[in-house]
Amino acid sequence: MSAEAKRAPGAETAGGRNILVVGVGGQGVIMISKVLALIGQRRGFEVKQSEVHGMAKRGGIVFSHVRFAPKVWSPTIAKGEADALIALEWAESLRWLDFLKPETGVFIADTRRIVPPFACLNRQQGAVTAYAKATPAEVVERISNAYALDASGIAAGLGDARAANTVLLGCYSVALDEPLEHWREALDLFVPKAARAINHAAFDAGRTWAEAARAGTQEVPTMPALFSARGPAVKSELEINAAWCKGCDICVKLCPERCLALDKKQIAVLTKPDACTGCRVCEWLCPDFAITVHQTAVGAA
Amino acid sequence: MTEPLAFDIREYLRLELMPHFMCPGCGHGIALRALLWAVHELGIAKDKLAVVSGIGCSGRVGAYIDANTYHTTHGRPLAFATGLALARPDLKVVVITGDGDCLAIGGNHLLHACRRNLDLTCLMFNNEVYGMTGGQVSPTTSATRLTTTTPTGNAEPVFDACRIAEAAGASFVGREVTRQVPALKNLIKSAMSHVGFSFVEVISDCTEIYGRKNDLGEAPEMILHQKADMRPEAFGNVADQPFRPNRLTTGILSQHDLPEYGETYRARAALLRSGEK
Repeated sequence: MSAEAKRAPGAETAGGRNILVVGVGGQGVIMISKVLALIGQRRGFEVKQSEVHGMAKRGGIVFSHVRFAPKVWSPTIAKGEADALIALEWAESLRWLDFLKPETGVFIADTRRIVPPFACLNRQQGAVTAYAKATPAEVVERISNAYALDASGIAAGLGDARAANTVLLGCYSVALDEPLEHWREALDLFVPKAARAINHAAFDAGRTWAEAARAGTQEVPTMPALFSARGPAVKSELEINAAWCKGCDICVKLCPERCLALDKKQIAVLTKPDACTGCRVCEWLCPDFAITVHQTAVGAA
Repeated sequence: MTEPLAFDIREYLRLELMPHFMCPGCGHGIALRALLWAVHELGIAKDKLAVVSGIGCSGRVGAYIDANTYHTTHGRPLAFATGLALARPDLKVVVITGDGDCLAIGGNHLLHACRRNLDLTCLMFNNEVYGMTGGQVSPTTSATRLTTTTPTGNAEPVFDACRIAEAAGASFVGREVTRQVPALKNLIKSAMSHVGFSFVEVISDCTEIYGRKNDLGEAPEMILHQKADMRPEAFGNVADQPFRPNRLTTGILSQHDLPEYGETYRARAALLRSGEK
């Protein structure tokens, strides 16, 4: 079946939209997708949304497909079918890129980075995280309708970084031609009373940003270089005093990188020098003082 | 950052005596490293450090330190150290003692050293057994454990050395396991910086005589087990945790500001001398 045949009827109908909202648990992905669903409903369309409640843990991946059209069959958007991708986190924006319509899809992403723990698995000192390396400038250049903004920074400037999702919603609102009051009413339904003022301000800020971006006066934000998770790079060398080692096996079993072993004479030897991160656990726990870790800065050499 | 603190234990050891006599995997070596690391970070000169030790495996530990060391009689290191600290207040006196040395034979000295609150640091290496003399039961041997003198399992209740020291008046009491070397080093550092009697219980492993007899595994298994047995101080007292009575509270258990005996003693002596004139 070709991609054309798979396309759900009605998606192409004027006014209908496939919107994919993605982010990280706790950012408010579901909140803005509910607002979008309500806007679709007000326009008299049939609306399907998935997911409707956040099942991810705080910090996990969250996505929400919002589809509205005269007739919607599937609640999910197929790859390459999203009219808009709204991403609340930078790596998530890249992960879902293939859902965007190749030529006409609108890409709106917060440049905020939330580095997950599994991106920091390399425990070598000076190791760079495994976080996505693409910069906003590279991505914006490749997509025809791409907008990358520091929504978290804008929201923080307004008083609460948690309103970043509403900044992005405001940013997308210029594409829908819906009166401002409708957006505000929809927002008020899902936002606690105390947070209404900040969310209205955030929405307006996003809208203003997008209007300026359409006029071509917004600059693509730059991001700081990916940081090194564990200080400057160092080279670690293990000095093992075979005459003092009694082969108790503590260093072998407790090395987090499993880079030590006992040889035939029951003396500790370093079997994987490249895996050693210089954490010094072996040096500290050696009851016979047989191991000394020497560290030299790599940059100095 | 690491440069000024760079610590090479070999600078503090009597290298001609190495390798030391302790069995493979013995926790006392790790405890010794923590002590020397603390001394290094506190910047105490070797000739200003006096280490007094008693009899037992723990007693032999002191001999490997390249400083003023004093290997005394069984159970009496605290008594010797009391005299030394009174006579030479310029020295930093550290007592290394074991569970049998400190609590059984020297139990009386521990109580009075705590009561006087003289500026001493007492490190009790607790490995739950008399290792050097062949593995006899000690006051801290856990219930049902096998030793050479309890072939059917220990039937006696144990001492909680930290609570004894606190009740007897020690102004600083702490406990740490050898598994957590930096934490142990920091605890010994605070104990040595404290003015007054500081008592630190170091939970150590006897791998060859106690671990093997009780089927506690090899050295790595024993040291890994320590983590399951310990509980950071934030969780409160052992007595408040009846559901895990075997778990040990670690960290600084109590710290009080009490008059230090050495100062009181010297002030009194100065007063008497001035009265004679």
